[in-house]
Amino acid sequence: MIKNKRLSLLVTGFASMMVLAACGGANSDGAAEDVAADETAGGVLNVQVDVEVATMDPQMATDGTSFEVIANTIEGLYTLDESGVAVPSLAEKTDVSEDGLTYTFTLKDATWSNGTPVTADDFVYAWQRLADPDTASEYYYIMGIAGVVNADEISAGEKDPEELGVTAIDEKTLEVKLNHPVPFFESLMAFPSFFPMNQAFFEEAGENYGTSADTLIANGAFEITSYEPAATTIELEKNPDYFDAENVSLDGIKYQVIKDTQQAMLSYQNGDLDVVTLAGEQVDLFKDDPEFQTIQAGYLWYISPNTKVPGLENANLRKALGQAFDKEYIAETVLKDGSNAADYMIPEGLAVDPEGVDFRETTGTYLEFDPAAAQEALELAKEELGKDSFTFTMIIEDTESSINVAQVLKSQIEENLDGVTVEIEQMPKKTRLDRMNVGDYELALTRWGPDYADPMTYADMFLTDSGNNKGFWSNAKYDELVNSSLDGELSLDPEARWTALQEAESIILEDAGILPVYQKGNAVMVKSNVTGVDFHTVGVSRIVKNAVKE
Amino acid sequence: MKKYIARRVLISFLTLLVIILILFILMQLLPGSPFNDERLTVEQQTMIMNKYGLNDPLPVQFFRYLQNMLVGDFGKSYTISKDTDVAILLQNRLPISLALGGISIVLGAAIGLFLGVFSALKHNTVWDSVSTFITVLGVSIPSYVFALGLSYYFGFQLKLFPMLFSPADGTNAYLLPAVALSMTVMATVGRFTRTEMLDVLNSDYIQLVESKGVSGPRLVITHAMRNASISILTVLGPLVVSLMTGSLVVEKIFSIPGIGQLMVQAIQSNDYNIIISLAFVYSALYIGVMLVVDILYGVLDPRIRLAKGGSNG
Repeated sequence: MIKNKRLSLLVTGFASMMVLAACGGANSDGAAEDVAADETAGGVLNVQVDVEVATMDPQMATDGTSFEVIANTIEGLYTLDESGVAVPSLAEKTDVSEDGLTYTFTLKDATWSNGTPVTADDFVYAWQRLADPDTASEYYYIMGIAGVVNADEISAGEKDPEELGVTAIDEKTLEVKLNHPVPFFESLMAFPSFFPMNQAFFEEAGENYGTSADTLIANGAFEITSYEPAATTIELEKNPDYFDAENVSLDGIKYQVIKDTQQAMLSYQNGDLDVVTLAGEQVDLFKDDPEFQTIQAGYLWYISPNTKVPGLENANLRKALGQAFDKEYIAETVLKDGSNAADYMIPEGLAVDPEGVDFRETTGTYLEFDPAAAQEALELAKEELGKDSFTFTMIIEDTESSINVAQVLKSQIEENLDGVTVEIEQMPKKTRLDRMNVGDYELALTRWGPDYADPMTYADMFLTDSGNNKGFWSNAKYDELVNSSLDGELSLDPEARWTALQEAESIILEDAGILPVYQKGNAVMVKSNVTGVDFHTVGVSRIVKNAVKE
Repeated sequence: MKKYIARRVLISFLTLLVIILILFILMQLLPGSPFNDERLTVEQQTMIMNKYGLNDPLPVQFFRYLQNMLVGDFGKSYTISKDTDVAILLQNRLPISLALGGISIVLGAAIGLFLGVFSALKHNTVWDSVSTFITVLGVSIPSYVFALGLSYYFGFQLKLFPMLFSPADGTNAYLLPAVALSMTVMATVGRFTRTEMLDVLNSDYIQLVESKGVSGPRLVITHAMRNASISILTVLGPLVVSLMTGSLVVEKIFSIPGIGQLMVQAIQSNDYNIIISLAFVYSALYIGVMLVVDILYGVLDPRIRLAKGGSNG
């Protein structure tokens, strides 16, 4: 494939030289301008993104690019440090009541870019707006996940947004009331949905908020100087009034949307970009480069077996399927982008226990690749079901990586399990989601990304009555443990809760309720003169405001 | 002529209405919805769909859309640029695609005409073969290959032009993508011009004109090209529209914020209002260009004008 590309480049090189001859070198003074522009680019970090910002409204944003750009301009109560731990940002002081149900935040002195101070009211306004069903934010449920009093009732239209459990005691004091203790509450405060908004500015801009640099407000490290909806270039400048401005080294940031991965890489080599994300097929070319690095993303890819499909209600058959493919081969040979084999449900680097140890280090692994055990489980299943051969259709989305992974899954399952056939059905992601929503599938290759740094972001998906439990897997003990950890007795005891969530993971995986495949990784290149670009598995996935460019 | 144009405009308007109606129906058949994200429960999706009136009966949605469109409201984007007026997106992106398409058409047509006329005049010489070779290359190599090649050699290797589009670079930014896009136009126009010119140059009336002592540029431009231009115009019309409506791949390679990529993204993410608005723009452009082409036929060839004038009384 690469050879072909090179060949075509040669051919086009020849052709394009003729074109130039035909045009007679139409514009030769362009070169001088470009060089001049490069020299002035000193303290500006040039970052590639592969999709446009969908919205700059923190309460409406749902995608990674929007979150990243918003987080450069607006600060919340907390932010993530380089290791992904939530640390206070606008919160000067945080008091938690003994029962864990009341948080009182004292705010730092900070100002918005329109000159008004950041107050507790800005948080109350933003949070009420997020919970208000009239806003119809796709992330409004996160207020309920945070356990804020009346959030769910407001979302359901039973109560007014003003009744949300958040109050401005005075200009600098914000009080939040929770229904039950939420161990990851502080980590949620670093999530852009909980960022404040200046009511006066926002309402004056009205529908035009975020349609240009002039209709955007900032209280964070940078201000936007050039922006339009769905812009392919976004320019930010250091905000001199940011409360922590002395620790911001960059003069500015420039985001460039580049969707073609080859062009992105050429621009990086050309010096136009400082940070770029690689596609899987580019990894081999650059993996020995000192600027190359792989980073762990929070997404877990897994096969969801529909337990209502005859055969798949059988745990042994599901176990056979789950152990019949070589995850390491998939991660390291097929994907090659820093992805890791997943013998688990809760991703690595997602959450730390009350002592600060990663969840993955405190528990075992499940459903490892083991052809012999898989075949053994299959024999049991055949006996129990009284059937010798099984054919299942796996629905997948039509992206290159999904197709490649699915082909390996199919061939390995068929090779390692006598009498099992897997058919692959490709479709757009939207169709796959539709089919899964109505339970119209047998096996599905699907993924989930975490919303917050706690095992619960995965565990509550597979409760019997959860809307995300597409495969209808159900286990009474699992439900009991997870429900109690969510808002019951266990939620009051962090250590017992942690043990319960470990047990819950072992229950679902030993019963092969889902069949984990890999945890997504990303391969990136960061110029050697740039430090301090932080990547995170949850929340804002890349934070560049602390970057230093020498 | 005026009556003819008026009737054509009216028919165009009705055609557009029908197109919008068909689009509305087709969009119901698109799989998924703008909001079937894995994070949203069915109730949440219903709530958001209600906010945008997407659960209303189709006729209600259709007439509401028409009504809004008459006052210039093309609706809001659902996913690509949340809650932004589609009119703003069009306002930002359409001029870029139109400018890029326009430059490529002018560039391609000019070079194509030159090559075509040149080969016809130098029929069966080395020059004819060279220019035929260039036009064959232009037709057979897709524009994205040119785009990759140009960006690699002139952007990356020689650093003569920016690799990525930025409005700040002015015309410089348009040059490489425009050259890449103009190749097809150049080749198509070149081939047609050559064939037509050969036909015309060998025709009786040109020989008559020649025998009257007319020669050189006057013969070629006033007499031969005018006659050849009818069929060139016929191929140029659709090319103009296809270039003005943006090219997905060339936009992708140079990171151009045009409407070609926007359309594809909108279809993938079920951003209905963007799909309809762009399809409307495409159709309007197409119908408009065809109308201009028809009128130009009359200007170039009085026989066509007379025939139409006659039938309309």
